[in-house]
Amino acid sequence: MIEPVALKDFFITFFSAALVILGGAGYAGLYAWAKLRGNPRLLLWAYACYAVLAGATFLLARATHLNGQWQILVGLMLTGYLLAPLGIWKLCVASHGN
Amino acid sequence: MNSIVSALPGKITSLFGKLDSPYLNGGQQLAVKYFSVATVLFFAQLLFGLLAAIQFVAPGFLFGWLDFSVNRMIHINAMVVWLLYGFIGSVYWFLEEESGTEIAGLKLGNIAFYVLTGAVTIVVLVFLLIQTGPGKDTTIWFINEGREYIEAPRWADFGIVAVMLVFFYNVAGTFAKGRWSGISGVLTLDLIALAGLYCAGMFYLTNITADQYWWWWVIHLWVEATWEVLVGCIMAWSLMHLIGARRKIVQTWLYIEVALMFGSGILGLGHHYFWIGTPDYWFSIGGFFSALEPIPLVAMVVHSVYDAGVHQFKSRNHPALAWIIAHTFGNFLGAGVWGFMHTLPQINLYTHGTQWSASHGHLAFFGAYATINIAFFYMAVQKWRGNVWMGGELPGNGWKWKWAMALLNVGVLGMTVALLIAGYEQSFIERAMEGSTWSAYFSAQNHPWFQQAMHWRLLFGLITIAGLVLLIWDLVTIGKGETRPALQLLEAE
Ligand code: HEM
Ligand code: HEM
Ligand SMILES: [Fe+2]
Repeated sequence: MIEPVALKDFFITFFSAALVILGGAGYAGLYAWAKLRGNPRLLLWAYACYAVLAGATFLLARATHLNGQWQILVGLMLTGYLLAPLGIWKLCVASHGN
Repeated sequence: MNSIVSALPGKITSLFGKLDSPYLNGGQQLAVKYFSVATVLFFAQLLFGLLAAIQFVAPGFLFGWLDFSVNRMIHINAMVVWLLYGFIGSVYWFLEEESGTEIAGLKLGNIAFYVLTGAVTIVVLVFLLIQTGPGKDTTIWFINEGREYIEAPRWADFGIVAVMLVFFYNVAGTFAKGRWSGISGVLTLDLIALAGLYCAGMFYLTNITADQYWWWWVIHLWVEATWEVLVGCIMAWSLMHLIGARRKIVQTWLYIEVALMFGSGILGLGHHYFWIGTPDYWFSIGGFFSALEPIPLVAMVVHSVYDAGVHQFKSRNHPALAWIIAHTFGNFLGAGVWGFMHTLPQINLYTHGTQWSASHGHLAFFGAYATINIAFFYMAVQKWRGNVWMGGELPGNGWKWKWAMALLNVGVLGMTVALLIAGYEQSFIERAMEGSTWSAYFSAQNHPWFQQAMHWRLLFGLITIAGLVLLIWDLVTIGKGETRPALQLLEAE
């Protein structure tokens, strides 16, 4: 069912887990900011944050042995955090419009 | 003696009556009563937390007089109660404005406040007076029900349920009499769920697995579902009021938040069912859904970036808005980041029930819930003073609220980091290296990292309580003698 994290991977587990969420927020926030300002440079930074998120997800998946059905979770996290900010942005614009 | 006792109720009501202000409506007068008791309980929470923290570094301290178990219990129960007082007060606060009519059954609501406050006082006194002894049916009924965070004995449970029914009647009755809105609809349904869940924590079961199973329904489904939605409603109303956000916007947000929060949070419950004797499938359910719980919190970050861009933070109450921003970040960090770090069973196996949980618990409860209540206290005091100016250029440059905010946040963050270090060391040494034996427990407790962390926690705890003292001082003085009226914002529907 689950294969516990190895002792040597403790730090990387916490660290990458935190980076997943921080990367997600960075990506979402910068994406919104870039769109608000119409600044494509910021958009690049947003994607850089997403790259951090993806890399961290990969590290986390390795450290916590997310194999088999747990791969679905990896996929869900990668697509969820990729698409949620876009959807949220669309809704932001729509709901703030007149 | 008899005459003292019979004069007491009058004395108490006239004491609370001193809080009345000509600028408030009926619901708001009642809200102020709730807020003032909340503040007192907040102070009590920190005081007993400090005693418990001292006992971590000096275990003999007050032993036999005020045991650690009691201090800890009062610390966390006072927290739950003051946060609920704050929420109830906030709802009473906006009830009349949101419904466009006078509150239904205000008199009953007032009586309920005194009943609840009396019950809370008695419960705490009994906790203090009867600290040890065997646990029996009678103790469940009259002394302590023994479920962490909601330890009030059963007689008080029934009292609490009765008071909640009155509160619910006030809320639903007022909206039914006046007008409904998206906010009030979500709020009313959420209150049904919130109060209904409390009942899951009222039945003692001899099987500890079954008992814990239901107990988590209250704790988890409160803080990770119904409380989040409740503060979502409070937040929605506050944003309209504070920065003039449009109703359509905040309501759309509220619906999205409810969907995301309930969608992930309800089954996220499984992250408490890893090791208590519940079936294996909870590993996957708990791991999957709780891993998605931070998504709505990330969504709120996008929204705040958007709002910052659109409104440039023009607000009628700077301290309140600052605390609302603290809420957004605190919720995100404490619940989202700190929660996610230990939510997968592959790692929770080691962190479960260590100071790791306490680190997350402190940051999440403070960041998500204490902050928004404090924001509301500032909004209340503004109107209480006659809707006075609370933007920039406050006397003394608003040093009191700024310092109170800095001290409270630095204090809680400092405690969080100290506990994180202690928890890391515990999961490493006690759990992973030495295999969770009794002696492993002690080697972790006596490790220098743990010991030092407990000292740092105490130090940052002192900073936290200093912040609270300053906050209270600010709340009772801010706006005194202020003659400028509050900034007017267009509140479009
Ligand atoms: C504002 C929302 C939240 C609050 C107030 C909160 C508070 C707490 C508290 C006080 C505990 C300790 C309970 C105990 O006494 O055993 C706890 C446990 C836990 N929380 Fe949260 N939490 C929140 C959100 C989250 C989120 C979003 C996640 C996951 C992403 C999460 C993951 C966990 C886990 C896995 C545990 C169990 C720790 C253990 O095994 O000991 N929490 N939470
Ligand atoms: C003066 C500041 C504070 C001090 C010194 C303090 C100290 C403590 C201590 C010693 C414990 C018991 C930990 C254990 O059993 O190992 C505790 C538990 C707890 N405190 Fe605090 N605390 C403070 C402020 C706060 C604040 C502001 C909050 C949230 C609003 C809070 C929420 C909690 C929670 C939720 C627990 C239970 C955590 C768990 O068992 O996982 N505390 N605190
Ligand atoms: Fe939970």
